[in-house]
Amino acid sequence: MMRRVLYVCAAIGLAAGVMGGFAWNHGAAVSLRGTMTPAGPNPEDGKVANGSYKSDYFGLSYRLQPGWTVAETGPDPSQTAYYVLTTVVPDGAPNAAILIAAQDMFFAGDEAGNVADQARDLQQTLSTTAGMTIDREAAEIKIADRPFYRVAYSGVGLYRATITTEIRCHVVSFNLTARDPDLLNGLIQTLDRDLALAPVGAAAAALPCAKDYAMGDNVLHRIMPQPVGPRFVPIPARIIVNADGSVRHVHVIRATGEQRRSIADALYRWKLKPYQVEGRASPVETGLVFRFKGDN
Amino acid sequence: MGPQSARSLLMSTVAILAAAAWSGLTATPCQAQAQSLTQAPTQPNQVGAAASTQQAVDPGVRGGPAGAGGHLPGLSQDEINFFNAAADIFQEVDGVEEGLGPRFNLDSCSGCHLQPAVGGSSPPVNPQVAVATANGAKNTVPSFITANGPVREARFVRNPNGTPDGGVHALFVISGRADAPGCSIVQPNFAAAVAANNVIFRIPTPTFGLGLVEAVPDAGLRASLAANGFQKRALGISGSFNVNGNDGTITRFGWKAQNKSLLIFSGEAYNVEMGVTNDAFPNEREDNPNCQYNALPESTTRLVNKTNSPSPASDFSQDIVNFAAFMRMLAPPTPASATPAAAQATPSTGSTSASSVHVASAGGTSVLAAAAGTSSTSAAASSAATTALTSRGQQVFTNIGCQNCHTPSLTTGQSSMTGQSKVAFQPYSDFAVHQMGTGLADGVSQGTADGGEFRSAPLWGVGQRIFFLHDGRTKDLKAAIQQHASNGSEANSVIRNFNMLSVSDQQALLNFLRSL
Repeated sequence: MMRRVLYVCAAIGLAAGVMGGFAWNHGAAVSLRGTMTPAGPNPEDGKVANGSYKSDYFGLSYRLQPGWTVAETGPDPSQTAYYVLTTVVPDGAPNAAILIAAQDMFFAGDEAGNVADQARDLQQTLSTTAGMTIDREAAEIKIADRPFYRVAYSGVGLYRATITTEIRCHVVSFNLTARDPDLLNGLIQTLDRDLALAPVGAAAAALPCAKDYAMGDNVLHRIMPQPVGPRFVPIPARIIVNADGSVRHVHVIRATGEQRRSIADALYRWKLKPYQVEGRASPVETGLVFRFKGDN
Repeated sequence: MGPQSARSLLMSTVAILAAAAWSGLTATPCQAQAQSLTQAPTQPNQVGAAASTQQAVDPGVRGGPAGAGGHLPGLSQDEINFFNAAADIFQEVDGVEEGLGPRFNLDSCSGCHLQPAVGGSSPPVNPQVAVATANGAKNTVPSFITANGPVREARFVRNPNGTPDGGVHALFVISGRADAPGCSIVQPNFAAAVAANNVIFRIPTPTFGLGLVEAVPDAGLRASLAANGFQKRALGISGSFNVNGNDGTITRFGWKAQNKSLLIFSGEAYNVEMGVTNDAFPNEREDNPNCQYNALPESTTRLVNKTNSPSPASDFSQDIVNFAAFMRMLAPPTPASATPAAAQATPSTGSTSASSVHVASAGGTSVLAAAAGTSSTSAAASSAATTALTSRGQQVFTNIGCQNCHTPSLTTGQSSMTGQSKVAFQPYSDFAVHQMGTGLADGVSQGTADGGEFRSAPLWGVGQRIFFLHDGRTKDLKAAIQQHASNGSEANSVIRNFNMLSVSDQQALLNFLRSL
């Protein structure tokens, strides 16, 4: 409850933005992906191994059905912190697929504030698409003893369902597609059997997350990063703050290598007010956006 | 630009190219399909491809009138005069006296931008083959330039020391030309670059309708990209904008949306593709003193009107201003729904050989001619069938998710061009860049777009395009669709959806696209 209140309060503020002023350095081709710090898993670190997709960050494990395999990898994390975690498909005939994705709610830029609203928003969009039928309206279902929202829809011979839940202020979605409605229903049912989530209270799931916490007076000591790389590009970053206000982990989600180093070097020197949960100092996960600007 | 003699040469060149283009435009759909098979398409990504003996086929380049090349409706007479005069300059052929070279890819704008009309994309006959030895030049035609292949520019991915290059390396030099005495420079070693897998290609982007694109406010583009966010996320799609490093606004022209404006687009192309320096790009890229013949910049504002065309604005303006004006006032392509000559095809059985293509009775110029002798009832039925096919294809387009990047409609803001404010138009692009995966990545970073990102190619006019994708690797629209899928691509789920469709729905989609 406390987590929800804090999240909503933080969301009242404007989108996070920490502005620097700075020289333009037209970066050469550099990978935008990479792990900034060895500490702690990040959302994109999940992998399929031994027949299961596992994400330590989300505390999530999904066992692939027999005969299913990993499809092409997805794109790197986006500027809005959207992740294609994995896609699995059956061997052989192309008749189904499951795309597992996550959207960081700190950076989505959407009006819809929670998973239920987002499911209804998706339904609304789909219902106005010519040839698309809403087969099951947005509704809460239980999978792996956790609340999910499901919307099922079909069109042009494809039967689909988007099933979402919230984990660590991310909308984690399972997007199922099948050429046959029975096959789709079977896939939905197997989710309950094959998906395991860390129980509420486990270490990762228990970490509170608060939008826009690293702003204003909450930051007791702030070092601005050295501006490097392309200007005007939003660079989302997630940080985990210890109970004493020091920064434990920095995840620069999408940036050039030099930008990652610059931002992380600065953020590890920040000091924040201890985050409070029911009157006690607590670690917290939050996010902020950097956008290097120039004076001329 | 150049003297009247250059214009004369240009007109004859354009006439030849136009004739060649016309032969392609008037091909029946069957012929067009056969043409597409003369260049084997790159093996399409078959991930999720339906295992069926029946296959959907690209109907080929749509026949009938070009439906492009004219000016926007609603312009003032002064603007139309400017457009017409600028169109002439866009078609001029330059020699060294007018600034060509020392290094260049072609000697006119319209030589590259010609299909299906002036302002378009690569024509069916590549003029780069002829220009290699024009006027006494002795250039070797690189292996990736062929008579029936796409017009291409070449970029090297890496410098010899391994650092990123990404720049255009012009194909030809003026050495040996009669109008370049004393210049002795050599072409880059393209054979070595090809052997080292160090060269990538770009083909000309069509310029139809770009004034409308330029007139869309950044806020409109941002709203369009943000729209339907949940639907996009259900398909693995995100995207971002390439932004200008000077002012932070969205750049939107070129394969990676790297160019801020049509003027910058013109200035860069004039210098990089033709070697003509201008007020936006005033310095020669090749500074060998033996190859400099003109004061710089070679194209600049004219202080005296020596042309006296119906447009003084054109007469006084330097060439790149004229080029930008031409593109800015160039109308979008007209889709087949507004013209009667849509190419349509039904699925082929067994193989994709040209002989297996069955042309629907309602499609193609030749069929329309035959239909003239039929009863009005059957003609109406054919027309209805065509409309139904296209309509189904449009439904497929939106249902499988193509429209999330190839956004059908945008609206201009307040425009200084007469009658162009608050105009809704249909480019079928969000003008954002998207990660397109290892299969399409060219390793070249431009602006804020990295080596794997490309702008959503506007699909308006795709029905009359010959070559597809940034490097023109295929003439087969279906192969082009499937090339969107590879490791790291935002399009993987959409292409998987495409591959899960019934053959008839795949065909409907291809027919719809060829109607644009």
